[in-house]
Amino acid sequence: MYHFTYHVTWPTSNDGLLVPTRKIAMTLSEIADGKLAPRTGIKLDNISKRYGDHTVLDDVSLHVEPGTVTALIGPSGAGKSTFLRCINLLERPDSGTIQVAGHTIEPGKVVNNKDLAALRSTVGMVFQSFNLFPHMSAMKNISFPQQKVLGRTKEEADARSMELLERVGLKDKANQHPGRCSGGQQQRIAIARALALDPSIMLFDEPTSALDPEVGLEVLAVMRELAADGMTMIVVTHEMQFARDVSDMLVVMADCKIIEQGDPGAIMSDPQEARTRRFLRAVLER
Amino acid sequence: MDALSAVLQGLPMTIVLTLSAFAIGLVGAVPLAVGLSSSNLIIRLASRLFVDLVRGVPIIVWLFLLKFGIQIGTFKFNPVAAAIVGLGVVSIAYLAEIYRGGLQAVPRGQGEAAHALGLTRGTTFYGVMVPQAFRIVSPSIATYLTGLLKDSSIASTIIVAEMVFQSQSFARQHPTVEGILPYILVGILYIALSLPVAYLSRRLDSRMRKAVYA
Repeated sequence: MYHFTYHVTWPTSNDGLLVPTRKIAMTLSEIADGKLAPRTGIKLDNISKRYGDHTVLDDVSLHVEPGTVTALIGPSGAGKSTFLRCINLLERPDSGTIQVAGHTIEPGKVVNNKDLAALRSTVGMVFQSFNLFPHMSAMKNISFPQQKVLGRTKEEADARSMELLERVGLKDKANQHPGRCSGGQQQRIAIARALALDPSIMLFDEPTSALDPEVGLEVLAVMRELAADGMTMIVVTHEMQFARDVSDMLVVMADCKIIEQGDPGAIMSDPQEARTRRFLRAVLER
Repeated sequence: MDALSAVLQGLPMTIVLTLSAFAIGLVGAVPLAVGLSSSNLIIRLASRLFVDLVRGVPIIVWLFLLKFGIQIGTFKFNPVAAAIVGLGVVSIAYLAEIYRGGLQAVPRGQGEAAHALGLTRGTTFYGVMVPQAFRIVSPSIATYLTGLLKDSSIASTIIVAEMVFQSQSFARQHPTVEGILPYILVGILYIALSLPVAYLSRRLDSRMRKAVYA
């Protein structure tokens, strides 16, 4: 396969957030086919979420530049998953605005089903527990949403599914049901399923936490490739190596807030907040 | 064998009653199961009330109420219609409860994944939730069907000429030892009818298991 590489420098965003330069590699065939969806960023402003008296998110804001990888770390219960799930409206925040993929969502604004489906197909999501449909083969798992959401014919969908299965290295598993696949394979199929809808943003909610460390590597490899392709990604993770190597921005959440964000290397070597220091020590010195 | 031919005369009616009520139940229970797990409190309570009311009263009482208690204008239920409606409504209530349990047993992540992919609520329900719930509940449904087959004998009390009714009339006409014969035969027939249901259910179950893990 022929690769060619070019450099893109994203401008500093207007709130002064520095976005580092990174390499973006695409395969020639992908550019020719126009398969890479237009890149879009995400703007979340003043997001709050409560369940009764229990606050989960307290006035959280985050801007993500297109084509960048953001790693979201922090202790459990910090609100990382809830925050991520607000982006594709699996959770509806109580207040704050979300701007993603050309959609603006404000509290009280009624999002009709068509817009919701459009938004969700633009934002792919990968779960900790894979959540493949157990009654469908790997291929059907990937084709079914394409047919239902994008209106592709079975042939079109299956052709795309096959491409993606090949890309995640699981072409031979096309006709197997998820029950016959290992955790790592299931998660790669789940990634292929999300990619099949040509999303411009991918959300990962602890994608390797349910996998043993060795198997997790094959999932991380797929994610690294995706990042190299220029996908906008937000990854909730405890994989510090991945966060350091792959992400452009590290966001630390604790107690329902973002307590620190910036260059991953800088935060890891010199955290400014005591809470960040405590958390990093716990994960890094394990 | 007079006794056997008497009992066999009731066989078609037993099958008609059982299958009609079962069909009503299978279809009618779908909206009720959705109602039982609705997020709308009023719909949920109304569905719950219906299920508990129907299940709380013995079938024989429902059949008597339908047959002798309902007259709308000049319309009255004939015995067969009353039996089918009665057994059908009871099936709706029981099967709805079975469906609800099955839908709840489908892992939460399945619905979330479907929503995250942008699938509509309808597609999520019929394409993702129902097929999985069906696998979970198919043995319970088969058990219910064999139960229903036997419960259809209650229709004999409102003069529906099914197998038990035929046995009774034969026994009445032969007040000797011979009178017990149709009851033995009818017992054997009920067993014979349940066996294929149980067999098919097991085969279906193992086939679906293979489909999931193949």
